[in-house]
Amino acid sequence: MSDEQLIHEIISGNTSAFKMLVEKYQLRVFRTVLGFVHSKEDAEDITQDIFMKAYQSLVFFKGESEFTTWLYRITANMSINFVNRNRKNRFLQSLEDIFYKPSGEKTPLEQLEESERDQRIRKAIDSLPEKQRTAFVLSKYEELPQKTIASVMNISEGAVEQLLQRAKNNLQKKLSTHP
Amino acid sequence: MKTEHQIDDFIRREKQTEPNPFLSSRVMANIEKLQKPEVKKNPVWQVAAVSASVAAVVFLGISIGNSYVDSTSPETVMNINDSQMENLGYYNLENYE
Repeated sequence: MSDEQLIHEIISGNTSAFKMLVEKYQLRVFRTVLGFVHSKEDAEDITQDIFMKAYQSLVFFKGESEFTTWLYRITANMSINFVNRNRKNRFLQSLEDIFYKPSGEKTPLEQLEESERDQRIRKAIDSLPEKQRTAFVLSKYEELPQKTIASVMNISEGAVEQLLQRAKNNLQKKLSTHP
Repeated sequence: MKTEHQIDDFIRREKQTEPNPFLSSRVMANIEKLQKPEVKKNPVWQVAAVSASVAAVVFLGISIGNSYVDSTSPETVMNINDSQMENLGYYNLENYE
């Protein structure tokens, strides 16, 4: 069943059609949210909220854009809102990550190094300006084409390219100061 | 180049995180909860009226209980006295001699 048909079914009152829609897109939404929050539990909670919001707002979806574009827009907005609201709690989360790092067959030293490196990368991604970060997450975590990112962010493709380039440069700059 | 590779590696590992398989069920449960008509709570005035009635009944009970005055006269008390009822002196006619 296509997205349009599913949406039509949902609006007609068939809630089980919404379950199909959730199952179809939950992984994509979850991965995108994870790119913003870097925590499985938070990503699951936000994914749940995103689908609730989508369900409640579905009647306002006019079909002017693709459903996925609309859903990614909600995803990006809600993830950014969550990050801004919980900026203070991120410090505790970072501390947790230092002590917990599941890894394959690496020595404790290698695990520690990897954990520190991951934390630096996470911090660098988190410190990107909002628009750069959104473009970066959609591009890297979801591998969306620039055209789709442009639709989600409501900007031109050229602007997306610029944002991605700046994000890349910023990350390089932030991470190159460390070995 | 090395930094870029590290970032890509970090993202690749993070992307491998799988969501809870019951995520869609959780979402649907929340939606069902949203659709269920809320259980109508009793209005405050009803709760207040019931509480006031209970309080009034208790107060009335205590008042009635307190207002009871023992009206038995000493004679009656004597009548219920076993020794009066079975006055052996009467049979002995000691007091009537």
